[in-house]
Amino acid sequence: MKKIIITLTILFTFGLLSFGQVTDPLINSCAMSAGSDAKYLKDFRIQLGKTSNQNDLRFKTNMSLWKNTKYRFTMCNAQDSKGQLILSIKDDNNKLVVSSFDKKTGKIYPFIDFECQKSGIYQISYDFTDGQQGSGVGVVSMIK
Amino acid sequence: MIIVFLGFSCRNSKSKTSEFVFPKSDSIPVSEVEKLSPEAIADISKNIASPVEIANLLQTLQVPFSENYLAQSIDANRQSTSFNKALTLGILGADLGYLNMYEKTGSSLEILSSIRKIAEDLKVGQFFDFESIKRLSKNKSNLDSLLFISIDSYNKIDTYLRANDRGQLSALMIIGVWIEGQYLATQVVNVYPNKMLSDRIGEQKIVLNDLIMLISPYCNRDPEFSSLCKDMQDIKDKYRDIRITYTQGDPVSVEKNGGLTIKQTETSVVTMTKEQLDGLIQLTKNIRDRLISNN
Repeated sequence: MKKIIITLTILFTFGLLSFGQVTDPLINSCAMSAGSDAKYLKDFRIQLGKTSNQNDLRFKTNMSLWKNTKYRFTMCNAQDSKGQLILSIKDDNNKLVVSSFDKKTGKIYPFIDFECQKSGIYQISYDFTDGQQGSGVGVVSMIK
Repeated sequence: MIIVFLGFSCRNSKSKTSEFVFPKSDSIPVSEVEKLSPEAIADISKNIASPVEIANLLQTLQVPFSENYLAQSIDANRQSTSFNKALTLGILGADLGYLNMYEKTGSSLEILSSIRKIAEDLKVGQFFDFESIKRLSKNKSNLDSLLFISIDSYNKIDTYLRANDRGQLSALMIIGVWIEGQYLATQVVNVYPNKMLSDRIGEQKIVLNDLIMLISPYCNRDPEFSSLCKDMQDIKDKYRDIRITYTQGDPVSVEKNGGLTIKQTETSVVTMTKEQLDGLIQLTKNIRDRLISNN
């Protein structure tokens, strides 16, 4: 019995210690799917419930983007997502620079390459199509 | 298929800014800083230019690698305070990014062992995947994975520190990364003068106030913090008359390989004299050299 308790204690302790090191597999695969020419910079984990209010994308964060740099924004969905992950980028004047969702055609782009010419802090927003519940990852990389 | 986003300029909810300016007040009131939510602080930490981006720019400009830019004098065993440890963790993180980008992965092993020691001292070693980084460092074809794991490890440490009421250490780490990146850029531009690089240095004015906001709550904590806060204010003073202006334009997009490629036509323009740049080069060197000599 004592041996079992010691074994369980060791397993539990090492389990906890190693837990912190585990990288979300979706982040990992999304970062790798950005392409061989892409160099990873950041990722955003997005988990949202369903909403009826679709006025604006719900997950918002800021990020500095620098002139003469080409960024790739890759969107990846978890298997159980009801909607597809979409992205919009606004500049510091709240001016929409790009959206991965074309409202007119309904087309959704899985990645966006952005050739930045204006250094600044941009608002990066994500949501799932039609305000659906979803889980996904947005990865930002640099490309040549 | 080329689409010009003509409609987007009409969505501007604020008046167009033609020049970037610091907030009117010279110092940011503590009350202002205290209003920052954890999410806002997390955002600020994401706003800081990654040293990987600076190293990428140096590579684009075909600037050769030099070990002389690295903080080689740092001895991980001589870090006496948490202040020194966290700041050094940031400085070494920037150096690791520089080494990785130039695929000097063999040289990075020495820095990695210092990072490991300091991270363990700060009780955040569990977030740094040393074994994977060491393994990936041995093969140059693993650059993407190496960058991902290295940056991801730092991001985890940052998140953990902020979530566990050790925000002051997170702020120090971020400032360490920024100062070392700035040191790298200013030292290179001193030897290889280049407009694109000096512009990138000038553009740091955009994130400087955020960095100061990050550290402001701790400025009266102890003499080490007070000194660092003064350093950051000195840097801000050097940036005061460097101008960043904007020209207007609408983004142009084209479909390519199943994705959307956007070319921004709006531009930022940095106006900085040789004297202003020289002042930044000197001040950055003084501060950074003093910080690593304290270690």
